[in-house]
Amino acid sequence: MSTAEFEDVMDLDIEGVEASTVHPVGPTEMEARDVSVWFGQRKVLEGVNIVFPKKTVTALIGPSGCGKSTFIRTLNRLHELIPGAALAGSVLYEGKDIYDAAVDPVSIRLQIGMVFQKPNPFPSMTIRGNVLSGLKLSGMKRDNHDDIVEETLTAAGLWNEVKDRLGNAAGDLSGGQQQRLVIARALAVQPHVLLMDEPCSALDPASTLKIEETIRELSKEVTIIIVTHNMQQAVRVSDYTAFFLAEEGTPGHVVEQGATTEIFGNPQEQRTLDYVNGRFG
Amino acid sequence: MSTITFDPRTLEQLQQQKSMRPWRKKPTRFTASVTLAVVIPALIVAALYLTSDIPVPILLVVIYLPLQLIASGIAAWATKGTRGIADSVIIVNAIGASLFSVIVLVSVIGSLIVRGLRALSPHFLFQNSVYISPSTPLDYGGIGHSLVGTLLIVFIASLISVPIGIATAVYITEVRGRAVPYVRFFVQAMSGVPSVVAGLFILTIVVATGAFNQSAFAGGLAYAILMLPTVARTAEEVLKLVPDDLRTGALALGSTRARTVLRVVIPAARTGIITAVILGVARVIGETAPLLLAAGNNDQTVVNPFGSPISSVPTYIFNNVALPYPDAVTRAWGSALVLIILVAILFTLARVIGRGRVGR
Ligand SMILES: Nc1ncnc2c1ncn2[C@@H]1O[C@H](COP(=O)(O)OP(=O)(O)O)[C@@H](O)[C@H]1O
Ligand SMILES: [Mg+2]
Repeated sequence: MSTAEFEDVMDLDIEGVEASTVHPVGPTEMEARDVSVWFGQRKVLEGVNIVFPKKTVTALIGPSGCGKSTFIRTLNRLHELIPGAALAGSVLYEGKDIYDAAVDPVSIRLQIGMVFQKPNPFPSMTIRGNVLSGLKLSGMKRDNHDDIVEETLTAAGLWNEVKDRLGNAAGDLSGGQQQRLVIARALAVQPHVLLMDEPCSALDPASTLKIEETIRELSKEVTIIIVTHNMQQAVRVSDYTAFFLAEEGTPGHVVEQGATTEIFGNPQEQRTLDYVNGRFG
Repeated sequence: MSTITFDPRTLEQLQQQKSMRPWRKKPTRFTASVTLAVVIPALIVAALYLTSDIPVPILLVVIYLPLQLIASGIAAWATKGTRGIADSVIIVNAIGASLFSVIVLVSVIGSLIVRGLRALSPHFLFQNSVYISPSTPLDYGGIGHSLVGTLLIVFIASLISVPIGIATAVYITEVRGRAVPYVRFFVQAMSGVPSVVAGLFILTIVVATGAFNQSAFAGGLAYAILMLPTVARTAEEVLKLVPDDLRTGALALGSTRARTVLRVVIPAARTGIITAVILGVARVIGETAPLLLAAGNNDQTVVNPFGSPISSVPTYIFNNVALPYPDAVTRAWGSALVLIILVAILFTLARVIGRGRVGR
């Protein structure tokens, strides 16, 4: 077989696989290519390839400890802050590798915002101060702070609850409110991508629904990548889903990915079927 | 389907319920044996105190404590069986030890009040000692000049040691550079420097070289050496308490490390850092030796930190307490009382601020 013939076959094959798993709709915002991750000597992720199309929601699902948080933190270069962390492969944002030596991680984090599992408003600041903290911390200049506060709090579904007490300490809010405040804070610096690591896992059902609404609304403007343990939530909010798994002493990897409807309605892998139906994890 | 009907009688009964604490109820047997265990040793020791002339400390340590241990052990055994004995031993010792420290503290403060309260008066706080000799009656003169001196010296020491101390803590907890173990070791070693050595050090390199007089500034330098380790170590502990979530949160917003520390971490630890400063002040405010050497003495009120020797409360006490004039000695005790009140105020302040909610 000639090289050309081999490539032909390979190409066809790969396209055949992609057609059933990845639905490339619209331009790509981010892409992980062969991302592998180590903590010290221990490899916790291996060969992750995922494409994140612009202005869509991608859910990352999988059992605890399979490396979802680790993976999402490689996307805005928070991973490297952990002592002993290592990484191979590349993460493309707007077509460029964010791990290129010339790239400033601070500017990457400014464009790729993040919301964490535990709400982490700054306790020394007021509600308003928290919303605007990203501008101060990053040195970003934006006018009309009052408008920014109202817009982002509205987008995060919190405006009506706090508009009369913007000067109060952020710690006075409930957990669900704090999480929405943190979302507003992330939005105030106008990120293009928003990473969310189990943003609802510590919240009550009502706050969870509010945040899900917020996510749907936001996806018209920003690309969202969300880790969730809640299958219904993945179905409700996401367009695409990637299923991570770390089997017995092996590093985590993506077992299956594709349109959320496919992953939940017609998974190709037995393990995916078992997981989404709650048979393990 | 069964429905729960509303019975008005039940409501009436409910409304007559009194608030109670059922978990406080103890069996009579328990109360009785505890009472006996408390009363019998006390009675025996009281009887010995009245009838014999065994000195009180020996009475307490050699007779009362073992007696109490035995009595409590028996009581515990009677109510809870053998497993109660160990508990009772621990409890008796804990109560005894706390009582002991309370007694020590109370007798220190008590002796200050007994010997010094007579000196206290408004003019004692506001006047200086220019026309006062050791034999002057208590109606005249005061320690105003020493209070001004102490405050000035402590202020200068804070001005120097607080920024350096916080910077050290930031280096250890936030920068986490390679030299952290050495810096830690150095700070720890510094906290072991005897205060007289700090005074001698400033005396030799600042005063003896002619760079500065004995003055509030030189005294402040000596105090700063002593304050620095306290501030640095307390601030380090406090910064460690700031959750990492906040740091990561700030970095995820596109913050630099420096901005994260200045705008998020330190403000989040603000109350704790204030506590660190106040603890540092309380650490040095009674130190005498460094000021005898570096700040000197003066009967006049001095406000210029560089010009001339300056009085302070500890040196005032030192200079007066051993004089053969009763009124001078009373003044010294009065000053000590003022000093301890000052420290108490500082600690209360630290408590109140430390408890305060974070606003703004
Ligand atoms: N800071 C760390 N140091 C060492 N190992 C880590 C660290 N964080 C996570 N891990 C390990 O990496 C694996 C993946 O963890 P994580 O990404 O948190 O999983 P998930 O978010 O899917 O539950 C786990 O086995 C975990 O023990
Ligand atoms: Mg996780």
